[in-house]
Amino acid sequence: MPDITALIADDEPLLRERLATLLARCWPALRIVADARNGREAVELFETHAPQVVFLDVHMPGLSGIDAARSMVGRTLIVFVTAFEQYAVAAFEQGAIDYLVKPFDEARLAQTVARLQQRLVPPVTPSDAAAMDALLERLAGELRSRAPRGAHLQWIKASVGSALRLIPVEQVQYLRSDEKYTLVVWDGGEALIRKTIRDLADELDPGRFAQIHRSVIVNLSRVSQVTRGVNETADVHLHGRTETLPVSRSFLHLFRQM
Amino acid sequence: MPAALNPQAPFWRRCVAELTPPRVAWAAALALAVALLLSPIFKPAWWVVFSRTLFVAVVLLLAYAAAGQWRQRFMPRWGLQVLAVVLAAPLATLFMYTVSVGGDVSVLFGPERVSGMLLIGGCALVLGLVMGLGAMVREREAQANAQALQFALEREQLERQAADARLAVLQSQVEPHFLFNTLANVQALVESGSPRAAPVLQTLIAYLRAALPQLHDGAPTLGREAALVRSYLELMQMRMPDRLRFEWRVDPALHALTLPPLTLLTLVENAVRHGIDPSEQGGTIEVGAQRDEGGGVRLWVRDTGRGLDETHAPGTGLANLRERLRSAYGERARLTLSAESPHGVLAEVTLPAVDA
Repeated sequence: MPDITALIADDEPLLRERLATLLARCWPALRIVADARNGREAVELFETHAPQVVFLDVHMPGLSGIDAARSMVGRTLIVFVTAFEQYAVAAFEQGAIDYLVKPFDEARLAQTVARLQQRLVPPVTPSDAAAMDALLERLAGELRSRAPRGAHLQWIKASVGSALRLIPVEQVQYLRSDEKYTLVVWDGGEALIRKTIRDLADELDPGRFAQIHRSVIVNLSRVSQVTRGVNETADVHLHGRTETLPVSRSFLHLFRQM
Repeated sequence: MPAALNPQAPFWRRCVAELTPPRVAWAAALALAVALLLSPIFKPAWWVVFSRTLFVAVVLLLAYAAAGQWRQRFMPRWGLQVLAVVLAAPLATLFMYTVSVGGDVSVLFGPERVSGMLLIGGCALVLGLVMGLGAMVREREAQANAQALQFALEREQLERQAADARLAVLQSQVEPHFLFNTLANVQALVESGSPRAAPVLQTLIAYLRAALPQLHDGAPTLGREAALVRSYLELMQMRMPDRLRFEWRVDPALHALTLPPLTLLTLVENAVRHGIDPSEQGGTIEVGAQRDEGGGVRLWVRDTGRGLDETHAPGTGLANLRERLRSAYGERARLTLSAESPHGVLAEVTLPAVDA
């Protein structure tokens, strides 16, 4: 019987070596044909070598292990490797996906090897592959939703002197259009940016920022009071600032309950 | 304030403590003014009249002070003080005149002396009461101010204690993901019999020792923080040798500087997590600390990693650090982030100049 081939993908070289050493001990017939340092490399090397078993670290730069696995489903046996990620481990258990937890436990690895050896005999059916793909899609989506990436703007990039400052949006007091530019007034000062009020209104979290005038967006947590003016208008007062911001008629409904 | 004297001190010492220089000066000045006003009507020279008015003024002041310090229950303190002044004014005048005539009471009640006594006694009574009441009002005010100050101080202390408790909790968070991944690496070194195993384990121990909360420890210094950050970076470099390099620009002269705990580590962890770790190429992290021209200190962490997306939610680490800086320095410390070219982030903390 020819050797079984395997690929190991992990961004930490010592952990690749460690897994290879352990596998050499408990599965002498397994031959590691490739080492990948990230998800993209894993996919490339997989296409080149077509290994029968793939060990994929979940957390890798660029393409994650789960995303990389999606292009391999049905063509190989996949084992995920993860460190302390309770959530992912629970998901793997639910979906009966094989996984290893770092730091590796040799007895646990032996179990995985035994299972892999069994599953190498019957070929993977298309329905298995479809189920696996659906599961991976769900997992990938869940991992993405846990990643610190929101749909809303979190930083405003503004040139201050020679630096391109990253201003956390919670420090922004208000934004006001100023001819071609938009004036950002935040706790640390003022700056002009190129983004328009209209774009900013779309990108900022509507739960924290409100457009109150054609040319003004205000951070709602900074509003101290709203005073009614004549002609269905109002002025917004901010904590710690003397200037007031105009509220135009079409945005007055925002403060109706106040 | 006279209240500064220990309330356990003997009665006479507390009375003497009441005779503050401003009070004595006021009494003397008023005595002089009365003497100069009255001297045209009096036969004796102005300084003789002054010596008499001064005597009366000092006695009134003493009576006022003694009444204030006398611990009694039968009437309010202010009432006793008014009574003391009212009684002391005629009695002191009478006593002073008795002494001046050598104890001859028959001479004392001649028409001239009686009108003199009435004038001095009357002035003493009126001025004594006015000054006494004025002093009482000012004492009240001083007490109210002291109390308000005391309250503010207590409130600030409570706030600080609450902030410290929160800090201790924040500090205890060694990330499990980091710990287990690092242990997995150490295990790999140990199993392969690598000579690097022992020093790496030593570094991990040093990191944990510095990172876990130590309540009995004094104020954290930049030197300790620097050791912590170095161990962290060395451990991360062991884990991703092909992706992480670091440069060290911390001025050793600043090692004794005290600063809020985990200031540098938060910035470095942030650089690794958001800059280096998600990048296939990795990058360099530069850690620096320098005294600036104004005597303050500038700390910085620069990475050439992936950089921050405008929609990338900032970690709680940075928000917590901002909070720690605010509770330690108010508005005098700053944390700013800027984007580096072509990619990467520069995080800077400026601390105000503090007297050593």
